Amino acid sequence: MVNSTRPRNGWFVWFTFVLGLLLSVSPLPQFMEILRPLWLALLVTFWTMALPHRIGMTTAFVLGLAEDVLYGTYLGQNAMILTLISFLILSLLQRMRTFHVWQQSLVILVVFGLGQLAQLWLSALTGNRQPTLALLLPALMSALLWPWVSFALRGLRRRLGIN
Amino acid sequence: MRLLVLVVLSISLMVVDARFTLLQPVRSQMSLVLMQSYWITDLPQRLYQGVASQFGSRTELVAENEKLKTEALLLQGRLQKLAALTEQNVRLRELLNSSALVNEKVEVAELIGMDPNPFTQRILINKGERDGVFLGQPVLDARGLMGQVVELMPYTSRVLLLTDSTHSIPVQVNRNGLRAIASGTGNPERLELRHVADTADIKEGDLLVSSGLGQRFPAGYPVATVKEVIHDSGQPFAIVRAVPTAALNRSRYLLLVFSDSRSPEQRATEAAQAQEAADHQGQVAPGTPAPAVPAAAATPAGASATPAAPVNGHSAPAANSHTPATPAAAAPATAPAKPAHGTSRERH
Repeated sequence: MVNSTRPRNGWFVWFTFVLGLLLSVSPLPQFMEILRPLWLALLVTFWTMALPHRIGMTTAFVLGLAEDVLYGTYLGQNAMILTLISFLILSLLQRMRTFHVWQQSLVILVVFGLGQLAQLWLSALTGNRQPTLALLLPALMSALLWPWVSFALRGLRRRLGIN
Repeated sequence: MRLLVLVVLSISLMVVDARFTLLQPVRSQMSLVLMQSYWITDLPQRLYQGVASQFGSRTELVAENEKLKTEALLLQGRLQKLAALTEQNVRLRELLNSSALVNEKVEVAELIGMDPNPFTQRILINKGERDGVFLGQPVLDARGLMGQVVELMPYTSRVLLLTDSTHSIPVQVNRNGLRAIASGTGNPERLELRHVADTADIKEGDLLVSSGLGQRFPAGYPVATVKEVIHDSGQPFAIVRAVPTAALNRSRYLLLVFSDSRSPEQRATEAAQAQEAADHQGQVAPGTPAPAVPAAAATPAGASATPAAPVNGHSAPAANSHTPATPAAAAPATAPAKPAHGTSRERH
């Protein structure tokens, strides 16, 4: 806000990403496992929308690689999904910014659902196919969480003056 | 444009990772840092357990101690029988000219995380390549087989559980030796036996043990107990469902099995040699406490009667049990009263 050309408080963005990585492996009760929100995708979406000049597909790709190592999938699988999500958000950026937060939620439901379908396709290729379409539930969960996540992060972003 | 580059890059990464081992070092370097996150997310539970054990009430601790003592007693009782049985087994196998049973070495590992993907049954343990873990290594818990190592990282490794839907293990009914293959279903409480003939002698409550036929799991470890056998005349095979004996989603401490790579003949000869050595030692052992006997016998004569008394009491049964202590009694006649004090110290 003071000087829009120089990056400020960039550490906070990466701090949220680290937190997202932790959340994506944190132990949950058995019945909640299937509902685990796509934390990294949510964070990538928020920061892509807030700072499109700094956070984009390359960041998403790197984070996806980290997720691959954590989950033990082939390197590149989650990277590709996150890159795709980031690309879709970037291309919808102008429209998303004018939307109300609930409309954004709907867009996120569709985008993340596409991501999860691509995930299903990739894991079927690599030999562990999930038996049901229950894997769309994380997308729904993420869409429901979006208003709160974006509200909290926007508040923090204003306070820290991140740009 | 950038999308295209990144997507092509990720596809090529996936192909390379699937086909070659080229990316293994990269992955293990990344995992060095990233695997800490499992440790961090596990921290609250660890802390809670630490605090709980710090503030555990005395009565609880006493009760637990009592329970552990009885358990240890029971296990030791069983172990006594096991020694005799092992020996008998070795003898019988010698008679049959077949290879001896192997004593596998085990090492304790601790669970550090579950796989976040709810559709796979995998866990992470705190032992990795640097601890000597190898790919395909069998993992047990106190009650039975749990699974095998599928991914190695420097200080952690990933274990595929028996109940994962991509996992199968060759088993044998303990009662009659009937062979079958137990496949995982994705449900942590259920295994299925595939292609069991409708007339096969298998019934509810049968214990399934690993048969060792796949060359991956050691033979003879309990895998599951049969829960139900359904004979459906419309199906070509019986439907057999079993429950794993290991507590797949509850165990925190696991055992890694290191079996040796020697050939059966080598194992047999080495086992025979070890047995011989043990026998030899068993014969020598009764003679060894003998030197203490004359010392103890000599001390009552000396002035220091009080410290010597327990020594006397201690070694008396030894002296009684083997009468051929004559050479020992004769030899150290020159080493009496002075070391007696020392020996009594050591004995205590």
